[in-house]
Amino acid sequence: MTIVGLGPHGERASPPERVTLLPQDITVARAKKLRIAIVMHTLESDWARLVVQGIIGTLGECGAIVIDVVDCNFSSKAQINALNRLQGEAPDAIISLPVNNATVTKAHLAISGAGIKLVLIDNVPTGMLPGKDYVSLVSADNFGLGKIAAELLSARLPQGATAGMLAYDADFFATNEREIAFSRWMEANRPDVTVKTARFSTINGAGHVAVQLINDHSDIAGLFVVWDSPCIEVVRAVSKQNPDLPITTVDLGKEVTESFAKGGAVIGVAGQRPFQQGEAVARTTITALLDRPCPDWVALPGLIVSRSNFIESYQAIWRKPVSRDILIGFDLTQTT
Amino acid sequence: MRIDKSAPNRQKGKGRPRNSEASTASLVAVLNHVRLSEATTRQELERVSEYGRAIIADRLAILSELGLLNESETGVATGGRAPRLVQFTKDYARLVVVTLDQSAIGVGLADLNGKLLMEHHEEINITNKTLTADRICALINWLMTRLTRQPKTPDLWGISISVPGPVLTNPNTPFLLETPNFLPDWENIGLVETLMQRFKAPVWMHSNVETMTMGELHGGAGIDQQTMLFVKVGQRIGAGLVSNGQPYHGATGAVGLIGQLPVTSGNTTGSLDDMAGASIIKARGIKAAQSGESAYLAEMLERGTSITAIEVCQAAQMGDSVSTEIVMQSGRLIGGVVATLANMLNPQLIVFAGSIAQTNDILLASVRETVYGSSHPLVTRDLLILRSQMSNSAALLGAAVIAVSSLFDPVFLKDWILLGSPTQHPDFVSGLETLNTSTQQADDGPRAPLSS
Repeated sequence: MTIVGLGPHGERASPPERVTLLPQDITVARAKKLRIAIVMHTLESDWARLVVQGIIGTLGECGAIVIDVVDCNFSSKAQINALNRLQGEAPDAIISLPVNNATVTKAHLAISGAGIKLVLIDNVPTGMLPGKDYVSLVSADNFGLGKIAAELLSARLPQGATAGMLAYDADFFATNEREIAFSRWMEANRPDVTVKTARFSTINGAGHVAVQLINDHSDIAGLFVVWDSPCIEVVRAVSKQNPDLPITTVDLGKEVTESFAKGGAVIGVAGQRPFQQGEAVARTTITALLDRPCPDWVALPGLIVSRSNFIESYQAIWRKPVSRDILIGFDLTQTT
Repeated sequence: MRIDKSAPNRQKGKGRPRNSEASTASLVAVLNHVRLSEATTRQELERVSEYGRAIIADRLAILSELGLLNESETGVATGGRAPRLVQFTKDYARLVVVTLDQSAIGVGLADLNGKLLMEHHEEINITNKTLTADRICALINWLMTRLTRQPKTPDLWGISISVPGPVLTNPNTPFLLETPNFLPDWENIGLVETLMQRFKAPVWMHSNVETMTMGELHGGAGIDQQTMLFVKVGQRIGAGLVSNGQPYHGATGAVGLIGQLPVTSGNTTGSLDDMAGASIIKARGIKAAQSGESAYLAEMLERGTSITAIEVCQAAQMGDSVSTEIVMQSGRLIGGVVATLANMLNPQLIVFAGSIAQTNDILLASVRETVYGSSHPLVTRDLLILRSQMSNSAALLGAAVIAVSSLFDPVFLKDWILLGSPTQHPDFVSGLETLNTSTQQADDGPRAPLSS
């Protein structure tokens, strides 16, 4: 798939192949005995854990030591404290996923101001510039993910339907892109569909917001939730009263996988490739530390995951086979 | 917030009338001193404005009442009581900024200091004018939904648009009342009129080169630079100039149309746009892909990827020799023209931007080689030639800076300051009324049968 979105400053995407490490690069990196810290918005999601696995494995191959992996629990304060503390420990690079926009800008600028290479994942606080304030942004093609989710949901929406969208109430590049792309795809391809949007500010609150949205618009015939963790809350909250309401989301997390396998409410997923994204993040970091130019925005295309390709998509995303229970559920344990 | 300027003897505090032209002028001066950080306390205001203590106190009271200034914080004491800080309420209202180029659209929100608060960019084919105009409105609507999540929803005070062509407007009009002719047929779309009616805010429009030059000067490589040449390379090639730290506009605002200059390569002579811009890079890339001369591009074509100038530039960056030569050829031609400008203008800094310059380093290397090889040593001794790091954010930031500058221009400001908002400016109100009336008449008028 090609990248359909543009970067946070309107940049064209560079494919992850643009940042490759040759054996001689790895040799030079190993000799430098690099120290690198990782600051994530959360470590609770399956996506975040897999990104970190991809980063740590690749850094290990390059002889780079990961000195800390911080879970900010979506808290700006926790992220600012972590960045301030890590700055004092003077790592060669910090890999960070900024938890929001304005509140964490200063703390991130201080990192690059201190001469520490800063590589960002998924979000760039407004005003920070690549090559000056950070090395690169490495993200999925979030605009493409929003389009995929819209297309998957559209197949289940009758003519003239109303669709609900549960968007994130924070100024965050990745989720903004998904939200805008979902609406744009519907406008362009399903002008008969009306999209009603509600915003949640916490994952736990997403279910309540979804119920409120459905109460306000009882004709809603399908939902899109901008990522999998709040999606599970939404499924729990709405499925009792609306068991047949189709839902699409982004990321094939563990619980979404179970819902999929049982033929539950989640009927399609726009899949990211977190492990490969983590590997690209690590390669970009090492490339920058070897003083070689890096692209402003490295983007990975999304995967269209439906029940028809669920098993192979699971393997591609999780790098492991689905459980035998699921295979039995799909009647795939024997040749037919 | 609105203060009734028409009330003949409106009095407050010590009973002085405050609606005279002189008091408006002092209000404008005090607001701009604070806004531009020339004064942060009452004492400093007295010094820089040369108004007395009573006048300053009175004007601050009005400006606070209008919501434009606040004195809620205290500064650092230097011997006595800590002074109250006078601060501009930059979050009192918001500006929407829009940038259009040949293949992309960008939107953003800015505060009243011109700082970008959020932005979004997406691909679009602007040859479909109606779709593009609809998309601009849809994205502004989305930005408005993000405004309402704040505890007190700020008003929208203006929409500033950056477009891919020169915009000739009357420099004496504070904002637009109709769509200027910036690209063929766009004046018929009524973009400015639609935005005015739908969002009820003044609209400004400037060329991409002008806004990007301003953006680069205020937020990019041009910060603190006195003399900067800005070159945008896309389908069209244009330049902006900063002299003595200020943008140079030229006699009619049509500065920097270097894409029209004739250049020669081999036996062919044509305009710089035609000989070195995105169109020729794309055409050469497609030819190299179809003939198989470039295996890299041929494979992309085979996989169903449309070959555009972006693909050719990325292929060059990935090491494809044919694509590299295509991009270098453009770089040499652009470098020749830029060298002439550099020898004439002696800039400290030349910044290259636009999709062609920003997707690879080859073009910049080729330009550098030509400029350094064709210029007087005194010109190139301290000359920096850089690639912009701002991409299309430069256009959004520049559009915001231009809008702020227009809003708070003393001549414009004095006509709305006591009304509390530029959307209450008499010219804007009457312009909007005229527009609404003509739209109503058009809707009510006899309609031709569909078959005619």
